Amino acid sequence: MEFGSIEREIHVDATPEVVYEVVSTPEHLRGWWPDDADLEPVPGATGTLTFGDGTSPDATICPLTVVEADPPKRFSFRWVYEEGEIAAAGNSLLITFDLVSAGAGTLLRMTETGFRERGWEAALLEEQYNDHVSGWDYYLPRLAPYVAGLVQTP
Amino acid sequence: MSVTVDDELWSAVGDPIRRRMLDLLLTDGGGTATTLSERLPVTRQAVAKHLGVLDRAGLVHATPSGRERIYAVDEAQFARAVAQLASVGAAWDARLRRIKRIAEAIQLTRDNRTDT
Repeated sequence: MEFGSIEREIHVDATPEVVYEVVSTPEHLRGWWPDDADLEPVPGATGTLTFGDGTSPDATICPLTVVEADPPKRFSFRWVYEEGEIAAAGNSLLITFDLVSAGAGTLLRMTETGFRERGWEAALLEEQYNDHVSGWDYYLPRLAPYVAGLVQTP
Repeated sequence: MSVTVDDELWSAVGDPIRRRMLDLLLTDGGGTATTLSERLPVTRQAVAKHLGVLDRAGLVHATPSGRERIYAVDEAQFARAVAQLASVGAAWDARLRRIKRIAEAIQLTRDNRTDT
Protein backbone atom coordinates (compact mmCIF):
# COMPACT_ATOMS: atom_id res chain seq x y z
CA MET A 1 0.00 0.00 0.00
CA GLU A 2 1.32 3.39 -0.99
CA PHE A 3 0.53 5.70 1.90
CA GLY A 4 1.23 8.90 -0.02
CA SER A 5 -1.48 8.41 -2.62
CA ILE A 6 -4.69 6.59 -3.41
CA GLU A 7 -5.16 4.83 -6.74
CA ARG A 8 -8.32 3.22 -7.98
CA GLU A 9 -9.56 1.98 -11.33
CA ILE A 10 -12.88 0.82 -12.66
CA HIS A 11 -14.20 -0.34 -16.01
CA VAL A 12 -17.16 1.64 -17.33
CA ASP A 13 -19.41 0.47 -20.17
CA ALA A 14 -19.53 3.92 -21.73
CA THR A 15 -17.29 5.80 -24.14
CA PRO A 16 -14.44 7.98 -22.79
CA GLU A 17 -16.41 11.03 -24.03
CA VAL A 18 -19.35 10.16 -21.78
CA VAL A 19 -17.14 9.29 -18.77
CA TYR A 20 -15.21 12.54 -19.23
CA GLU A 21 -18.47 14.46 -19.05
CA VAL A 22 -19.45 12.68 -15.84
CA VAL A 23 -16.16 13.37 -14.03
CA SER A 24 -15.75 16.99 -15.17
CA THR A 25 -19.10 18.77 -15.33
CA PRO A 26 -20.89 20.29 -12.29
CA GLU A 27 -24.21 18.77 -13.35
CA HIS A 28 -22.81 15.22 -13.07
CA LEU A 29 -20.38 15.82 -10.19
CA ARG A 30 -23.44 16.53 -8.04
CA GLY A 31 -24.67 13.04 -8.88
CA TRP A 32 -21.64 11.22 -7.48
CA TRP A 33 -19.93 13.41 -4.91
CA PRO A 34 -20.64 16.90 -3.51
CA ASP A 35 -24.08 18.38 -2.95
CA ASP A 36 -23.20 21.17 -5.32
CA ALA A 37 -20.34 21.98 -7.69
CA ASP A 38 -19.39 25.13 -9.50
CA LEU A 39 -16.54 24.84 -11.98
CA GLU A 40 -15.52 25.31 -15.57
CA PRO A 41 -13.55 22.35 -16.93
CA VAL A 42 -10.77 24.63 -18.23
CA PRO A 43 -7.12 24.55 -17.06
CA GLY A 44 -6.45 27.22 -14.43
CA ALA A 45 -10.14 27.83 -13.71
CA THR A 46 -11.12 27.98 -10.04
CA GLY A 47 -14.40 26.72 -8.67
CA THR A 48 -15.99 25.20 -5.60
CA LEU A 49 -17.37 21.96 -4.23
CA THR A 50 -20.15 22.41 -1.67
CA PHE A 51 -20.84 19.80 0.99
CA GLY A 52 -24.16 20.28 2.77
CA ASP A 53 -26.94 22.77 2.01
CA GLY A 54 -25.27 25.72 0.27
CA THR A 55 -27.77 28.21 1.73
CA SER A 56 -27.01 27.08 5.31
CA PRO A 57 -24.05 28.45 7.34
CA ASP A 58 -23.14 24.82 8.19
CA ALA A 59 -22.25 24.03 4.59
CA THR A 60 -18.60 23.44 3.74
CA ILE A 61 -17.51 25.22 0.59
CA CYS A 62 -14.21 23.89 -0.69
CA PRO A 63 -12.20 25.72 -3.36
CA LEU A 64 -10.73 23.82 -6.29
CA THR A 65 -8.44 24.66 -9.21
CA VAL A 66 -8.57 22.81 -12.53
CA VAL A 67 -5.07 21.67 -13.54
CA GLU A 68 -5.56 19.67 -16.74
CA ALA A 69 -8.62 19.39 -18.97
CA ASP A 70 -7.83 17.25 -21.98
CA PRO A 71 -11.07 15.62 -23.18
CA PRO A 72 -11.62 12.71 -23.34
CA LYS A 73 -8.29 11.58 -21.87
CA ARG A 74 -7.48 13.42 -18.68
CA PHE A 75 -9.11 15.70 -16.15
CA SER A 76 -7.32 16.80 -12.98
CA PHE A 77 -7.84 19.36 -10.26
CA ARG A 78 -6.39 20.44 -6.92
CA TRP A 79 -8.44 20.78 -3.73
CA VAL A 80 -8.11 20.74 0.08
CA TYR A 81 -6.18 24.00 0.33
CA GLU A 82 -6.74 27.15 2.35
CA GLU A 83 -9.06 29.70 0.82
CA GLY A 84 -7.04 32.56 -0.65
CA GLU A 85 -4.00 30.39 -1.35
CA ILE A 86 -2.89 29.48 -4.87
CA ALA A 87 -3.24 25.71 -5.21
CA ALA A 88 0.11 24.06 -5.88
CA ALA A 89 2.04 20.90 -5.04
CA GLY A 90 2.62 20.92 -1.27
CA ASN A 91 -0.48 22.82 -0.16
CA SER A 92 -3.24 20.76 -1.75
CA LEU A 93 -4.40 17.34 -2.89
CA LEU A 94 -4.38 16.53 -6.61
CA ILE A 95 -7.13 14.37 -8.09
CA THR A 96 -6.43 13.00 -11.58
CA PHE A 97 -8.82 11.06 -13.77
CA ASP A 98 -7.18 9.17 -16.63
CA LEU A 99 -9.49 7.69 -19.24
CA VAL A 100 -8.31 4.88 -21.51
CA SER A 101 -10.47 3.44 -24.25
CA ALA A 102 -11.04 -0.28 -23.53
CA GLY A 103 -13.17 -2.19 -26.02
CA ALA A 104 -16.53 -0.44 -26.26
CA GLY A 105 -15.98 1.05 -22.83
CA THR A 106 -13.48 2.99 -20.75
CA LEU A 107 -10.93 2.16 -18.12
CA LEU A 108 -11.22 4.99 -15.60
CA ARG A 109 -8.23 5.47 -13.33
CA MET A 110 -8.39 7.84 -10.37
CA THR A 111 -5.32 8.98 -8.44
CA GLU A 112 -5.35 11.26 -5.42
CA THR A 113 -1.90 12.46 -4.36
CA GLY A 114 -0.43 14.98 -1.98
CA PHE A 115 -1.14 13.23 1.33
CA ARG A 116 2.54 12.91 2.18
CA GLU A 117 3.37 16.50 1.22
CA ARG A 118 0.25 17.96 2.71
CA GLY A 119 0.44 15.81 5.83
CA TRP A 120 -1.96 13.84 7.92
CA GLU A 121 -4.37 16.75 8.34
CA ALA A 122 -5.32 16.55 4.66
CA ALA A 123 -6.47 12.96 5.01
CA LEU A 124 -8.68 13.95 7.93
CA LEU A 125 -10.15 16.74 5.80
CA GLU A 126 -10.69 14.47 2.79
CA GLU A 127 -12.51 12.09 5.11
CA GLN A 128 -14.76 14.92 6.30
CA TYR A 129 -15.58 16.06 2.76
CA ASN A 130 -17.55 12.94 2.25
CA ASP A 131 -20.36 12.59 -0.20
CA HIS A 132 -23.95 13.31 0.67
CA VAL A 133 -24.80 9.59 0.58
CA SER A 134 -22.60 8.58 3.52
CA GLY A 135 -23.15 12.07 4.94
CA TRP A 136 -26.55 10.92 6.18
CA ASP A 137 -24.86 8.27 8.28
CA TYR A 138 -23.21 11.15 10.07
CA TYR A 139 -26.17 13.50 10.45
CA LEU A 140 -29.01 11.10 11.22
CA PRO A 141 -27.66 9.76 14.55
CA ARG A 142 -27.15 13.36 15.62
CA LEU A 143 -30.65 14.37 14.63
CA ALA A 144 -32.43 11.84 16.86
CA PRO A 145 -31.12 13.17 20.24
CA TYR A 146 -31.89 16.70 19.04
CA VAL A 147 -35.50 15.81 18.21
CA ALA A 148 -35.83 13.91 21.52
CA GLY A 149 -34.66 17.07 23.31
CA LEU A 150 -37.38 19.10 21.60
CA VAL A 151 -40.08 16.66 22.64
CA GLN A 152 -38.99 16.69 26.29
CA THR A 153 -38.99 20.49 26.54
CA PRO A 154 -42.23 21.47 28.29
CA MET B 1 -3.55 14.30 19.47
CA SER B 2 -2.00 17.38 17.91
CA VAL B 3 -1.60 17.98 14.20
CA THR B 4 2.19 18.01 14.54
CA VAL B 5 2.19 14.48 15.91
CA ASP B 6 -0.23 13.45 13.15
CA ASP B 7 2.08 14.87 10.49
CA GLU B 8 4.96 12.86 11.97
CA LEU B 9 2.84 9.74 11.85
CA TRP B 10 2.02 10.41 8.21
CA SER B 11 5.58 10.99 7.05
CA ALA B 12 6.77 8.05 9.15
CA VAL B 13 4.68 5.59 7.14
CA GLY B 14 5.34 7.51 3.92
CA ASP B 15 8.84 6.05 3.48
CA PRO B 16 9.15 2.65 1.72
CA ILE B 17 12.07 1.43 3.90
CA ARG B 18 10.17 2.28 7.05
CA ARG B 19 7.10 0.45 5.75
CA ARG B 20 9.32 -2.57 5.06
CA MET B 21 10.67 -2.30 8.60
CA LEU B 22 7.14 -2.20 10.02
CA ASP B 23 6.31 -5.30 7.94
CA LEU B 24 9.32 -7.16 9.36
CA LEU B 25 8.58 -6.08 12.93
CA LEU B 26 4.96 -7.17 12.57
CA THR B 27 5.89 -10.56 11.08
CA ASP B 28 8.69 -11.28 13.54
CA GLY B 29 6.93 -9.75 16.53
CA GLY B 30 9.92 -7.46 17.15
CA GLY B 31 13.55 -6.82 16.27
CA THR B 32 16.70 -4.78 16.86
CA ALA B 33 18.56 -2.40 14.56
CA THR B 34 21.04 -5.23 13.94
CA THR B 35 18.49 -7.94 13.08
CA LEU B 36 16.57 -5.54 10.82
CA SER B 37 19.68 -4.36 8.96
CA GLU B 38 20.56 -7.99 8.17
CA ARG B 39 17.33 -8.27 6.20
CA LEU B 40 17.28 -4.83 4.55
CA PRO B 41 19.52 -3.23 1.91
CA VAL B 42 20.58 -0.47 4.32
CA THR B 43 23.18 -0.09 7.06
CA ARG B 44 22.55 -0.62 10.75
CA GLN B 45 23.06 3.13 11.27
CA ALA B 46 20.37 3.93 8.69
CA VAL B 47 17.99 1.42 10.31
CA ALA B 48 18.64 3.00 13.73
CA LYS B 49 17.76 6.41 12.29
CA HIS B 50 14.53 5.10 10.73
CA LEU B 51 13.63 3.42 14.05
CA GLY B 52 14.04 6.81 15.70
CA VAL B 53 11.50 8.33 13.29
CA LEU B 54 9.03 5.47 13.88
CA ASP B 55 9.54 5.81 17.65
CA ARG B 56 8.81 9.55 17.63
CA ALA B 57 5.63 8.90 15.62
CA GLY B 58 4.55 6.39 18.25
CA LEU B 59 4.56 3.53 15.75
CA VAL B 60 7.16 1.45 17.61
CA HIS B 61 8.24 1.06 21.22
CA ALA B 62 11.72 0.09 22.41
CA THR B 63 12.65 -2.18 25.32
CA PRO B 64 16.33 -2.17 26.39
CA SER B 65 17.98 -5.59 26.18
CA GLY B 66 21.68 -5.70 27.03
CA ARG B 67 23.53 -3.38 24.62
CA GLU B 68 20.64 -3.38 22.13
CA ARG B 69 17.08 -2.14 22.11
CA ILE B 70 14.27 -4.45 21.00
CA TYR B 71 11.65 -2.67 18.94
CA ALA B 72 8.02 -3.77 18.53
CA VAL B 73 5.12 -2.22 16.61
CA ASP B 74 2.56 -0.18 18.56
CA GLU B 75 -0.49 -1.93 17.11
CA ALA B 76 -3.01 0.77 18.07
CA GLN B 77 -1.06 3.59 16.46
CA PHE B 78 -0.34 1.43 13.40
CA ALA B 79 -4.04 0.55 13.02
CA ARG B 80 -4.86 4.21 13.22
CA ALA B 81 -2.46 5.04 10.37
CA VAL B 82 -3.87 2.27 8.17
CA ALA B 83 -7.53 3.05 8.94
CA GLN B 84 -7.13 6.66 7.90
CA LEU B 85 -6.20 5.98 4.29
CA ALA B 86 -8.46 2.93 4.08
CA SER B 87 -11.47 5.10 4.84
CA VAL B 88 -10.49 7.67 2.21
CA GLY B 89 -9.98 4.80 -0.25
CA ALA B 90 -13.39 3.32 0.58
CA ALA B 91 -15.01 6.69 -0.10
CA TRP B 92 -13.40 6.70 -3.54
CA ASP B 93 -14.62 3.17 -4.28
CA ALA B 94 -18.17 4.34 -3.66
CA ARG B 95 -17.68 7.49 -5.77
CA LEU B 96 -16.28 5.51 -8.71
CA ARG B 97 -19.20 3.07 -8.57
CA ARG B 98 -21.56 6.02 -8.87
CA ILE B 99 -19.55 7.49 -11.77
CA LYS B 100 -19.89 4.12 -13.50
CA ARG B 101 -23.64 3.97 -12.93
CA ILE B 102 -24.25 7.52 -14.21
CA ALA B 103 -22.00 7.14 -17.28
CA GLU B 104 -23.55 3.79 -18.25
CA ALA B 105 -27.06 5.21 -17.93
CA ILE B 106 -26.14 8.13 -20.20
CA GLN B 107 -24.53 5.76 -22.71
CA LEU B 108 -27.64 3.58 -22.78
CA THR B 109 -29.89 6.57 -23.47
CA ARG B 110 -27.62 7.75 -26.31
CA ASP B 111 -27.36 4.28 -27.86
CA ASN B 112 -31.14 3.90 -27.81
CA ARG B 113 -31.54 7.28 -29.45
CA THR B 114 -29.29 6.33 -32.38
CA ASP B 115 -31.04 2.96 -32.75
CA THR B 116 -34.47 4.51 -33.28
